[in-house]
Amino acid sequence: MGPANFSRRNFLKAAGAVSAMAAVHGFPAELLAYERRMARFPEKTDLILLTSRPPQLETPLSYFKEMITPNEALFVRWHIANVPTSVDVNEWRLKVGGNTEKELALSLADLKKLEKVTFTAVIQCSGNGRSFFVPPVAGGEWGDGAMGNVTWTGARLRDILNSAGLKAGTVDVSFNGLDKPPLPTVPDLVKSLPVDKAMEEDLIVAYEMNGKPLTMLNGFPARLIVPGWYATYWVKSLSDITVLSKPFEGFWVKSAYRIPETDCGCVPPGTTPKKTVPINRMTTRSLIIDPSASSELTLNKPVTIMGVAFSGGRGIQDVIVSVDGGKRWEETRLGEDKGKYSWRQFFYEWRPAKPGRYALMARATDTIGESQPFEGLWNPAGYLWNKVEKTEVVVK
Amino acid sequence: MKKLIILSLMLAVAGFAYAAEKDAVHSIEIPVVKTELRAGEGMDTTEKYCSICHSLDYITMQPKFPKATWVVEVNKMIKVMGAPIPEADARVIIDYLSAQYGTGG
Ligand code: HEC
Repeated sequence: MGPANFSRRNFLKAAGAVSAMAAVHGFPAELLAYERRMARFPEKTDLILLTSRPPQLETPLSYFKEMITPNEALFVRWHIANVPTSVDVNEWRLKVGGNTEKELALSLADLKKLEKVTFTAVIQCSGNGRSFFVPPVAGGEWGDGAMGNVTWTGARLRDILNSAGLKAGTVDVSFNGLDKPPLPTVPDLVKSLPVDKAMEEDLIVAYEMNGKPLTMLNGFPARLIVPGWYATYWVKSLSDITVLSKPFEGFWVKSAYRIPETDCGCVPPGTTPKKTVPINRMTTRSLIIDPSASSELTLNKPVTIMGVAFSGGRGIQDVIVSVDGGKRWEETRLGEDKGKYSWRQFFYEWRPAKPGRYALMARATDTIGESQPFEGLWNPAGYLWNKVEKTEVVVK
Repeated sequence: MKKLIILSLMLAVAGFAYAAEKDAVHSIEIPVVKTELRAGEGMDTTEKYCSICHSLDYITMQPKFPKATWVVEVNKMIKVMGAPIPEADARVIIDYLSAQYGTGG
């Protein structure tokens, strides 16, 4: 696909989306130095273009009206410029070694021979919502669209590690993919998990998303799935699993993707944390999808307020909604329960009885009582965003 | 007649084998997207160095930062990522970014 495939429409600036976002989150529009463009990449539909080399593409919020995010609409996030663009599955092997009894080189067919596991899980970038941080922080300036709810199928990581046989003294397991740095000085994207996490039952090496092979940009032919944890660990186009008897020291775990070691994972805005730990479980989050920000609603006409809510793998207990900026709250009806890692849709029937401006808000609580803050919690890298948002609509 | 059937069967089998082999290789071509930096003093220097490892939209997507943040970012690219930028050029880039993508503070 070449530049010719970019229609003019793809390049039209989504200026409306930017100003809507700016109004909702209290930024004057001029503060945003950038304008958002749409682009269509291979196997993907028109998505919001953050960066092109390497590709970072964000899902427009309207796709979240669906329980399952379509493969072509799922967000894309690579770190280093030489991303895989061609994979011969006859040649591709998942190599497993290090502190193990045996070394393995598994083909895709080998992976498919292992017990097949399928579940639905939210995938979310650590930096989803970074563009809402005040003061602003550097990084991928995502709105709310660096997430999606996908049904994954694959083999248990634990089964793979057990067939290699972990030797005594194992502490960490590291994961490398086919992407390569543009210059030798740039740290390769290698991630690690403590061995106890890696051996949990629900981690899989997925070779299908929504019943189809992974798209190339979402990690063909196989990627790690760490349900409940941020997607930084969900290494794409996985090629090497290394079992380690010493703590992993690579850049993307030791220096990047770290959160303050405080209860909230936050520090006073603009300050530097004293101690940090690797980011891990997702915070509880909800978002109103429909009506969208700046919608015009009709007086006395019933409208269903709909959105999605999820947590760090503990399911959702309830979601409450306010139509008056947080003064009064109402229970919502929850949709289908597709398991603790999936998001849950919520619905609230509303009949606006007075004209004017309304601030719609939603607040989710997970099954152990973890909920969402009313003020944005701040950390220097722009992670864990889960503030209760305001969706402003007008009733006429 | 029989011959014809066999022939078409053979063709079908050959076609299948060809498809299987071709399907084994999954390829995409990533589009090249051009990002224009704002015109201003130091733009060429910035474009030259800051597009070595990634596209320039890494710069244009950022919110407006105070100069101190751009200093940290440019130094991170040099010290952590190994960007080969001479000191004098780094100063030109920092001034450019602060002027074009800064808060003025
Ligand atoms: C040697 C390679 C290299 C060069 C040259 C380089 N960068 Fe980067 N830059 C990176 C890498 C790697 C990242 C992280 C990419 C990611 O996580 O998506 C990055 C990320 C960024 C980010 C996002 C915020 C962050 O810190 O992750 C900004 C802004 C940025 N670069 C600006 C610049 C500017 C300005 C220049 C020119 C002075 C530059 N880069 C030159 C490698 C480089």
